[in-house]
Amino acid sequence: MEDYQAAEETAFVVDELTQLGRARCESWTTNVVEQTSSQLTKLGEPLKYVVTCVIMQKNAAGLHTASSCFWDSSADGSCTVRWENKTMYCIVGAFGLGIGPPSPADDLPPVVHLLTPAMNSVNSFLVLFKSVLWHSQNVEEKNK
Amino acid sequence: MARGLGVLVALPLPLPVGFNAEEAHNIVKECVDGVLGGEDYDHNNINQWTASIVEQSLTHLVKLGKAYKYIVTCAVVQKSAYGFHTASSCFWDTTSDGTCTVRWENRTMNCIVNVFAIAIVL
Repeated sequence: MEDYQAAEETAFVVDELTQLGRARCESWTTNVVEQTSSQLTKLGEPLKYVVTCVIMQKNAAGLHTASSCFWDSSADGSCTVRWENKTMYCIVGAFGLGIGPPSPADDLPPVVHLLTPAMNSVNSFLVLFKSVLWHSQNVEEKNK
Repeated sequence: MARGLGVLVALPLPLPVGFNAEEAHNIVKECVDGVLGGEDYDHNNINQWTASIVEQSLTHLVKLGKAYKYIVTCAVVQKSAYGFHTASSCFWDTTSDGTCTVRWENRTMNCIVNVFAIAIVL
């Protein structure tokens, strides 16, 4: 569902710079997320996007990241790109969420399951889709 | 439809009127306090901690019963003299979707939790 390439291409924006300067780092993270976001929207899919980026200096302290999502597993997805060079690590997460009514559930997740009798009464009823608590752990360890 | 389930349950739930960032902020802050409060950065446990933070936050947010999809991300970094930057960008419907960021720290580590809430359109 996600375009892996768009996220990866944008990570290479910071390729040519080898020294980690504080002010530059700020603009890098901003540039990465903005460019990734605009590249993804250019794909023209009926999706909303959330893009996150973490840049961390090498030879510094430990870093751990995790993410967890509650969504419609048939319409939504994510993609994580880990990138590094001599002086830094960069982790970019791109999440794409389908626009439109959630797909009806055809099997029962163990946790929550509610169904509407009819999709017509949209004002007061909510369909909870075949979504499960999707958990991914993107762990990047940086040791001293 | 519901194979294997003998009963259909329909529950009236409020449609989203805008994301309540303050509520989410309080929920997440409590989760982080509960998991990391009083702890020092520990390489062996850090995996469990980040996982607990995202799972607990997500569970509590879902329990609010609102018509949202959620994405919760968490980054924990050991305190040091070195730089750490995060950024995020979202393409969504600004009237119904929203985000909330919780920054937490103690003596040995910084923790940043992002919550993204996307309205479900019926």
